[in-house]
Amino acid sequence: MALNEMKFEFKAENPKSINKGWSHFGVVGSGDMEILMEKMDLNGSVQVKIVTPVTGFDNVWGMVMEKFIRSSNLGDVYIEINDNNATPVVVSMRLRQALADANKQEEEVDEDA
Amino acid sequence: MLKWDELQKANFTDSNARARAYGLVDKGTFTEFVSPKDKLSSPHLPVLGEAIEFDDGIVTGVGLIGKRPIFVVSQEGKFIGGAVGEVGGAKMVKTIKLALRAYEDVKKEHPDSYEDRLPAVVISFETGGVRLHEANAGLLAHAEVMDQIQDARGKIPVITIIGSKVGCFGGMGFVAAATDVVIMSENGRLGLTGPEVIEQEIGKDEFDAGDKALVFRTTGGKHKYIMQDCNFLVADKIGAFKTQLDEVMKIPFNEIEGYRRIGSLKLVEEQLELVKKAVEIAPKDSKDMWKYFGNENPESLTNMSYDEFMKSVKRRERICK
Amino acid sequence: MEMEQTMIGRGRDAIDMIFDDSSVQENEIGNYQFDSEIGPGAVVGTAQLEGQAVTFIASDAQAINPRFNVVYFGIIGLEEAYKMALSVYHTIEADKDKPLEQKRAIVLIVDTPGNGPGKVEEIMGMNKSTGSYQLALAEARKAGHPIVAMVIGRAISGAFLCHGLQADHILSLAKNFGTMIHVMPITSISRITKIDIERLEELSKGNPVFAAGVDFFYKLGGVEEKVEKVEDMRSLIKKHIDEIRALKVAGNFEKLGPWGRGTLGDERGGRTSRKVVMKLMDAQYEAVAEKYLNA
Repeated sequence: MALNEMKFEFKAENPKSINKGWSHFGVVGSGDMEILMEKMDLNGSVQVKIVTPVTGFDNVWGMVMEKFIRSSNLGDVYIEINDNNATPVVVSMRLRQALADANKQEEEVDEDA
Repeated sequence: MLKWDELQKANFTDSNARARAYGLVDKGTFTEFVSPKDKLSSPHLPVLGEAIEFDDGIVTGVGLIGKRPIFVVSQEGKFIGGAVGEVGGAKMVKTIKLALRAYEDVKKEHPDSYEDRLPAVVISFETGGVRLHEANAGLLAHAEVMDQIQDARGKIPVITIIGSKVGCFGGMGFVAAATDVVIMSENGRLGLTGPEVIEQEIGKDEFDAGDKALVFRTTGGKHKYIMQDCNFLVADKIGAFKTQLDEVMKIPFNEIEGYRRIGSLKLVEEQLELVKKAVEIAPKDSKDMWKYFGNENPESLTNMSYDEFMKSVKRRERICK
Repeated sequence: MEMEQTMIGRGRDAIDMIFDDSSVQENEIGNYQFDSEIGPGAVVGTAQLEGQAVTFIASDAQAINPRFNVVYFGIIGLEEAYKMALSVYHTIEADKDKPLEQKRAIVLIVDTPGNGPGKVEEIMGMNKSTGSYQLALAEARKAGHPIVAMVIGRAISGAFLCHGLQADHILSLAKNFGTMIHVMPITSISRITKIDIERLEELSKGNPVFAAGVDFFYKLGGVEEKVEKVEDMRSLIKKHIDEIRALKVAGNFEKLGPWGRGTLGDERGGRTSRKVVMKLMDAQYEAVAEKYLNA
C-alpha cells in the first residue's frame, strides 16, 4: 500500500535559484497537486521528491521534471510535490504557476500594519 | 496567490483555504502557523495509500483586524473533503488555545485597554467532519475543539464563516452551531447529516439528494438566515466576509452572547419552543417554515439576488436577545 | 475470550444496576420537573450512588418518539438532545451555590447509534440540539461537576461526541459485551477508502487510529478504563467520580475531559502527532506574539 515516493536530481546549464526563500503553490485535490520550492545550496542542482498514490509512471515523472528544470534553468532549489492523480496538463500548469509564484518579489508585507 | 486587494474581490467559493485565511484579516498581517514549509502532514494517510498535503488540509495562523489579534482556522474542502484528522484537528484545537493565551497576554500587557485588543477566533469551515482514514483521532479532536469553544466563552468571541462548496456537516456542524457568531453566504450550507445520508435514511421520494434547489433550501445560507441559525448573510466575496468581520469586531464583547443560538438554559428553552413549532407545522419543506415566519411567497425568495433577498426577507423572531 | 450477555438496548437496566436500590427519580433534577412527554428516547433524572445524589442521562433504546419518526433504537433526536441539555443545566442550577466538593456528579450511560438523521431535523437544525448538549456538559465539567460516561453498548460517531466525549472520564464495558465504539464499521471504511477489509484489519493491528472497537479507543486515550464485569460498573463509576472530584478540588482540570484524553492518547502511544503539532505552534506563536499583542 503506502505511497509511492520518487527522488530525482538534475542540473541545468547556467542555473538560477528562485527569488523567495521558499514558496508553496497548489492544493492536493483529486486530480491536482501541491508544490513546495525551497532555496537551498545544492551546487547548482535541483533535487526533487514526489509523493503520490500513483505507481508505474516514475520514469515519466523524471522526464517531466528534467524538462521543466532544464527549460527554466532552475538551480539550488529543493522541490517537494504531493500529487493526487494530477493529469499531464495539470502537472505542467502547476509547475509553471509554482515557479512564477516563487519568483515574485517577497510579498510586500506592511510590517507596521 | 493573489495580492490582498485582489483577494478581496475574489469569490469566496472558488478560493482556497489559504487565500481565505489571508483575505479575512487586514492587509499583510497574516502569519501562518505550521505552514506547508513545516511539512507536518498526516502520518496516517500514507499507510492507506491516500495522498497527503503539507498542511493536512487546514490553514492556521494569526492576523489582525485593527489592533485585535485574529486567530484563524481555514479548512480546505478540496483535500479529502476538508475532513478532520489528527494533525488538522490538533491545529484547530491549538489555534483556539493560542487565542486564549493571547487573551491572557493582552490583559497583562494592556490592563487598561485590553478590550480594544481583545483577540478573536475566526473559523472558516469547509468539511464533512471526521476523516475516515483516521476516524478515531478525528473524532477525539472534535471533542477537543468543542471543549476549547466552551473555554472561550466569556473571554473572546469565536466566529464561524461558511461560504464554500462542501459546507459544514457532521461533527463540525455542531461545532459551528456552538460558536458565538455565524456568518454565511448563500452558497454556504450548514447541518449535521449530509443530503446523501438523508436520502439513504428516509428514501428518495422524501428527499432527493440530487435536487440541488432542495438541498440548498434545507441547509443553505438563506434558510439558516431566516431561521436565525446564521446571524449575517453576505455576498460570495472574500471582501464581503471581511467587511462583515470588521463589523462584528465593533460589537461590544458583553453583547456577543446575544448573538448565540445555543449555550445556555434560556437558549435551549427557546430552541425547544422552536421544536414544538416544528411538530405543530410539520414542515414538508423549508418553505413551510419561511411562510410561517411571514414570507408570504416563499418560492420567490429562492431565486432572488442577494440584495433583493435582504430587502424582502422576514426572519424568525428571537425570544432571547 | 468468553462472550458476555450484551447490554445493548438495555439503558434502563443499566440504571437499575448502577444506582442505589429504589433511588431513581426519573424526570426530576433539583427543583425542576421534566415534561415526561418530551424526548422519550432520553431518560434523565436523579438517583443515589452510595448515598450521594447524581444526575443520570441515558438513552432508552426501546422507546419511540411519536413526533419524530427517526427516533428509536436509541437515536438522539431534536427533543432528546435538548432534554439532555436541560438536564445538565438544571444540574448546574441545583448546585450553583455549592463548593466543588459538593457539586453532584453526572453519569452518562452510553448506548446510542446516532443523532437524528432526517429532513425535518435538518430544517430545524439538528446540529444545534446536539451542540447545545455538548456545550452544557462542557460547562458543567468546568463548573466542577464530575462527569463519568459509562459505555454499555453503542457509542457511535457524532452520537458519542454528543453523549460521552465531553465527560471527564469515559469507562467502557470490554469488547466481549459486544460494545461498539467507532465512527464507522470497518466494512464501510473499506467501501469508502476502497481498501480490502482484510488489509484494513491487518493495518489496524499496528495503528489504532481508524479501526472500530473499545481497545483501539483505549490506546488512543479515548477510553480511560475498561470494565470487565457488569457488577463492577457501579464501583468503578464511584471510584472515577472520587478521582475526578479530587483532581478538580486540587485545580487539575486540564487532566480531565477531552484535553486530558489528548495527553493520555500520547502517553499510550496512540496519538503522538497531536503533541508535535501543538508544540510547534506554541513556538511559532511566541516568535511573533509581540507584534500582534502590541499592534
